[in-house]
Amino acid sequence: MTDFELLDAGHGALEGLHSATSKLVPAPVENFYKNYYVRVFAQAILTIWAVLTVTFFLVRQMPGNPIDVLIEQILTQEGISYQEAYDRVAASFNFDPDATMFDQYVDYVGDLLRLDLGTSITSPGTKILDEIARFLPWTIFAVGSGFLISFVLGIVLGMMMAYYRDSVLDHTLSLVSSFFTGVPNYIWGLLIIIGPGISWKWFDVGAARGTYDPGLTPGLNAAFIGSAIEHALLPIITYVLATLGSWMLSMKSSTTGVLNDDYVNVAEARGLKDRRIITAYVGRNAMLPLFAQLSISIGFVLGSGVVIEEIFVYWGFGHYLFQAITVRDYTSVQGAVLILSSTFVFSNLFADLTYGLLDPRVRISGEK
Amino acid sequence: MSEQRREAVLRVEDLSIVYRTKRGDVKATSQVSFDLHPGEALALIGESGSGKTTISLALIRKLPKNAVITSGHIRYQREDSVQDVLKLSNRQLREFRWKDCAMVFQGAQNAFNPVLKVRRQFEDTAQSHGWTDKAAIRERALKLLELVRLDPERVYDAYPHELSGGMKQRTLLALGVLLNPQIVILDEPTTALDILTQRAIIDVLNDMQRQLRFSIIFISHDLSLAAEMADTVATVYAGEIVEIGPVNDIFYRSLHPYTYGLLTSVPTLEHLQDHLQSIPGSPPNLINPPAGCKFHPRCGFATDACKKEDPPLEHDIGTHLAACWHKDRLLESRKEPV
Amino acid sequence: MSSKIQAAPHPLLTLLRLPFTVLFAVFGFINRLRANRAGFIGFLGLLAYFVMTFIMPHFIPFDSEVNLDEIAGPVGSRIQLAVHRDNAHLRSFEDLAGKTVGVVDQTGGPSLIAPYADSINIEKYRWTSRRAGPGIRAALVDLANTEIDAMLIFSKNVAELRADSKDPELQALLAEHIVISNPELGPPHLLGTDTQGRDIATHIVHGGRILILTAVIGGVISTLIALVVGSLSAMIGGAFDAAMTALSNLILAVPRLILLVVLAGLIRFENTLFLGLMIGLLGWPPLMRAIRAQVLSLRERDFVEAARSLGLSTYHIMFREMLPNMISYVMINFIFAITFAMYEQIALLVLGLAPIDDYTWGVMLYFGRSRGTLYNVDGASMALSPVLAIAFFQVCLVLFARALEEVFDPRLRAAV
Repeated sequence: MTDFELLDAGHGALEGLHSATSKLVPAPVENFYKNYYVRVFAQAILTIWAVLTVTFFLVRQMPGNPIDVLIEQILTQEGISYQEAYDRVAASFNFDPDATMFDQYVDYVGDLLRLDLGTSITSPGTKILDEIARFLPWTIFAVGSGFLISFVLGIVLGMMMAYYRDSVLDHTLSLVSSFFTGVPNYIWGLLIIIGPGISWKWFDVGAARGTYDPGLTPGLNAAFIGSAIEHALLPIITYVLATLGSWMLSMKSSTTGVLNDDYVNVAEARGLKDRRIITAYVGRNAMLPLFAQLSISIGFVLGSGVVIEEIFVYWGFGHYLFQAITVRDYTSVQGAVLILSSTFVFSNLFADLTYGLLDPRVRISGEK
Repeated sequence: MSEQRREAVLRVEDLSIVYRTKRGDVKATSQVSFDLHPGEALALIGESGSGKTTISLALIRKLPKNAVITSGHIRYQREDSVQDVLKLSNRQLREFRWKDCAMVFQGAQNAFNPVLKVRRQFEDTAQSHGWTDKAAIRERALKLLELVRLDPERVYDAYPHELSGGMKQRTLLALGVLLNPQIVILDEPTTALDILTQRAIIDVLNDMQRQLRFSIIFISHDLSLAAEMADTVATVYAGEIVEIGPVNDIFYRSLHPYTYGLLTSVPTLEHLQDHLQSIPGSPPNLINPPAGCKFHPRCGFATDACKKEDPPLEHDIGTHLAACWHKDRLLESRKEPV
Repeated sequence: MSSKIQAAPHPLLTLLRLPFTVLFAVFGFINRLRANRAGFIGFLGLLAYFVMTFIMPHFIPFDSEVNLDEIAGPVGSRIQLAVHRDNAHLRSFEDLAGKTVGVVDQTGGPSLIAPYADSINIEKYRWTSRRAGPGIRAALVDLANTEIDAMLIFSKNVAELRADSKDPELQALLAEHIVISNPELGPPHLLGTDTQGRDIATHIVHGGRILILTAVIGGVISTLIALVVGSLSAMIGGAFDAAMTALSNLILAVPRLILLVVLAGLIRFENTLFLGLMIGLLGWPPLMRAIRAQVLSLRERDFVEAARSLGLSTYHIMFREMLPNMISYVMINFIFAITFAMYEQIALLVLGLAPIDDYTWGVMLYFGRSRGTLYNVDGASMALSPVLAIAFFQVCLVLFARALEEVFDPRLRAAV
């Protein structure tokens, strides 16, 4: 939404801890750790571990201990014995009631390693992992395509702005991009519904709900894919509108910088073809600083999914999380937050790896 | 010189360039003319901001956007046809650059795209000029890298950041002659390098020129470099060539007080330290240059004539030309013991 | 040497000069800002917002009077007076004394006519009745038959009736017997009315104050934490630095809005102030990292080295040498922090996870969505007005911050 270029992005989790621990390990391990890909991957795993640990203890320390609240709730609703209610809550939370907090934690992590996220509290018997597997792909599809489209479009438009600096095109696009960045993404969503949807009746707002038309069988058939795209279109457009501006402006400023670099000048003197200069010399180098913002931007788009999916009634992961929150389904929320952060961390990992491919310098020095 | 009779490969005539700025037009070069013969090494020397880089950039038409060429021709001879570089189409210009006239820029530190291997950048250059066979490109590149005394295999497959400054400079030299150009422009080829690397680069250049027979224009404020490499030296002051001639004439019989000033401001083994003197004053404002000879405010020999009329670039003996009203007085003064 | 050291001016003199210094600084700033047209527009926009949300509410009362139950009026809607063709001279409430006037429930008419209840006979029609169909239609038929003398119609209904070609009978009736004698009986609603017939424009004027204050509180908290933690981390280093960096990374590992949504959903924020506090507490890590990096790089600069070698205190170095070098950067990020806080609190409001005691733009949006006016062309104003109010506010902030970036020395950013 707003300017990310100022904010040094949250890359490489827990750097502080890392620099501290890396001194303690023997040389071969340290060398192995110096490998860019190993380091980036290790940081991702460590971050996920930190998140799951904090969520685990946080949920148990929540005001009005959720376990007691739930037992109370089940007791009043179903009139069963305290022990039964307690057992049920214990089962859904995946903990041994007699064990210490630490043992519970070890159990929980063990279950996680076996990909067992436990069951939902509010609808007993529903495996959280199944629910997540049902909802998450839609969000990844919508957020991912929106993100990619805006990244690519932003890079192209930003380069155009830099090449035609101070032209009418540049000024217009600058203003437009400020506008795109300034207007919050859910406001874009509402504007899309009010304008094209309701006032001009370009599409049927009601029919765009859900993730695909009922009655279609999910699979690789044209009808299903068409319907899936149709339903995801509005969220995708919203994600694009909301993030395009900041990409454009960042790309413009970094391209302007690169255009003044010697190697571009030399490339022109070398008589290289324009297309080659624009792609491999200007574009590729100008893109590099954008990777520093990628992390925050991905988190931002992923986070905004909760609101956007509610607004468009798109049944993705944000919708699932929101439903779980409204019924206070603690285990589901806990699982959802964990999976969502893992998704976030792994998309960052992906961005880091791509960055490593694009810039040979980081593979050795590890600095951006 | 035997080349004199042969056709010049490059003939610059009456070249004037101004930079349009908010404060007015900066007359960066005015009415510059010189010839460059095959195999010749021409040195353009002068202070920073004297316009020597502007001249060299004009030769490959890579002037900044606010520069306007107000007059002149740059005639380039290839085989039997003569082209005016200033009239080339974009496509012809792209082909002319590097294949006919390569420019090795000042500060090679950033001359290479940091994200591409050296190999890729050699291939880019060759492929843009019609080469297709990567093996052939590799073969030629390795030969040239060896010529600049680098470990060819290692450098060819390295990323630019894996090379030191001197290695980059030499790689750029090799890249410069990759397409076998007739002219190589070297802009301050040795600045920002340590003294040993400078030495190595000069040796490499001399070697290469002997083997590849291209013409060199090099721009420098380093007179020792000019003395060592150049056949012809041109002194540039305030956008004009004030003296041009064979290297020995310039160094031992300079006819322009500015050239003489440059020479005496450099410590050499022959001059004693206490004879060292700098040229008083600073280069003129090129938006409103002084009338007459532009050097007169800083010149010890200046008379009223200098303030009124700009001296023409005139013959002295043979190919030695100088633009000064007081060549004789300068020569006289040098005979006196100082 | 010693002659160059000037005596410090008298403190009183400094004090007297202060207002002028500030005034000059402000004028100089505005002048520099004018060079950047977009930024200047943003600045003027922010001034306009300030006037609208902090000054205008003192003069324009909040329209809390429930007029209509389920009818939302479009922009500019008002009550009109319809009379029989023969009674075209009846134009005001005074003219209507002793007459029978039809009013349809839930159109705003009843409340408008209520003060005249003593002098005017009011005939009420129900909004819809199963037997007679739409009340407005029944009333118009009565009016055509001169069973009543006049009726109050919501301008929206007139437009609808005129456009409704499916009912030629009604159209003929209107054309033949009925005229609008006074199209401007009631006051116009600039932005229409909400689902309760309340004037939206007054809500917009009143609905920004708390929202903006909360956003500023959130921005101040997160910027302050970032500034303090960031500089301390860089200056102290060691375990504190490692701990703070790890903490910021942990907070950054979960998308921020998700974190807020989960917390808001599970803890239930009780009041707006607490919401601002939470937003601030979760928002500092990105800026903290940037400030930490800046302080680290500033520490290595010559002037700081010089200060240190002179034996000046850490306090002096931080506040006298470093802070002035970062202040513009921090200012710009403070503005961006406000836009973030604004974004987040309204997102929570839209989801219904934030307190809705105060009728802010966000709450209007929430009600607009939950009551479905969003999906109704006439009622869209209820959601659209706060949407635009929020959007323009954010755009103004962004334009202003961008302009500041250009106005302030850009060297700092390049140095990081």
